[in-house]
Amino acid sequence: MTPNGRRQAGAERLERVVGAVLRAGVAASSLCLIVGLLWTIAAGSGGIPSSLLQIGIVVLLGTPAARVVVSIAEYVAERDWRFATLTVIVLLELLASAVAALVFNRRL
Amino acid sequence: MPLVTPALAAIIFTAGAVSGTLGALLGLGGGVFLVPFLNLVVGFPFGVAAAISLTTVIATSSTVSAGRAGRQLINMRLGMLLEVATAGGSFLGGITAQLVAQSVLQRLFGIVAVVVAIIMLTRLRRRNVILDPAADPGVLGGRYYEDESGTTVTYRVKRLPVALGASFIAGNVSSLLGIGGGIIKVPILNAWCGIPLRAAAATSAFMIGVTATAGAIIYYGHGQLEPTLAAAAVLGVQLGSWGGMRFGASASAKWLKILMAAVLFIVSAMMFARGGR
Repeated sequence: MTPNGRRQAGAERLERVVGAVLRAGVAASSLCLIVGLLWTIAAGSGGIPSSLLQIGIVVLLGTPAARVVVSIAEYVAERDWRFATLTVIVLLELLASAVAALVFNRRL
Repeated sequence: MPLVTPALAAIIFTAGAVSGTLGALLGLGGGVFLVPFLNLVVGFPFGVAAAISLTTVIATSSTVSAGRAGRQLINMRLGMLLEVATAGGSFLGGITAQLVAQSVLQRLFGIVAVVVAIIMLTRLRRRNVILDPAADPGVLGGRYYEDESGTTVTYRVKRLPVALGASFIAGNVSSLLGIGGGIIKVPILNAWCGIPLRAAAATSAFMIGVTATAGAIIYYGHGQLEPTLAAAAVLGVQLGSWGGMRFGASASAKWLKILMAAVLFIVSAMMFARGGR
């Protein structure tokens, strides 16, 4: 296979994997949010419905992060070190936000 | 934090549905309408409104990109590169948002609303495509099948520093104000960086999930993200943008753009009135 052809095949696989991660994340978070919201309206907050809502939000926020992680794995598998490095930087920026969130949380 | 009642959840769900519909019809996220509604009409603190809106932005990005993945319309390499800039901008914006007064954010929103309205009214539509299918798109360029012309088109990316700078600013504004920021990036990528409008919009929508996550995590940690209200808004926006995309293909968006630009001018004036006090 030519370098261009290999890159094309790698790009197509990356799109498929990223698409699958996004679909799974949207489906899981939407399900948790729908059930959690209806349950909260019916029975009030607290207990399982509140946990479901929290899980739904965390999965929603985690979905873009998860697709960054699988992208890193794909670029490493393709030995595309330039894009692997760039994607690792994006992940580090997301981790920096999480650290900032903890700092603000402690101040409350 | 506002007290959550079923009536409030219903209002937020409806607001999300309307914003999602408008966003899909106008080709932008609904945040630019949802944030002022939650802040000015419902009366939530600006940070709470921005946190809810950012959550809907993430949901829209994931849903839209999941549907588009596999059609080469999203330029993943360019997206990953520009995300370095948007996520950095978003991280700094998220921290700044916790440190500045609500009135500053309201005035900034007032400025951005006017910019968005002007961009909406004077939207550039450069094609930027190379019709030769054998042309080399370079490391960052792309190639996709264009429905309108029925051909595979190729494009190259020009002026990368401009694209990175626009992405950084868009990321910053995104987490400061709770909007996606595509309205800032897409016209610049299209007009100056050689990227066809559809590829620019798809790539921007793809990036926005990561951008908004970098901001939303900080609001979440600060306790400004109320899960019940965020859930109502997310589900409303999902329903609204699904409906908007169904009707969007047939509806002419011209009158709607003019109407919504007028709404944004009013929003801007209201934000300045509140923020000026």
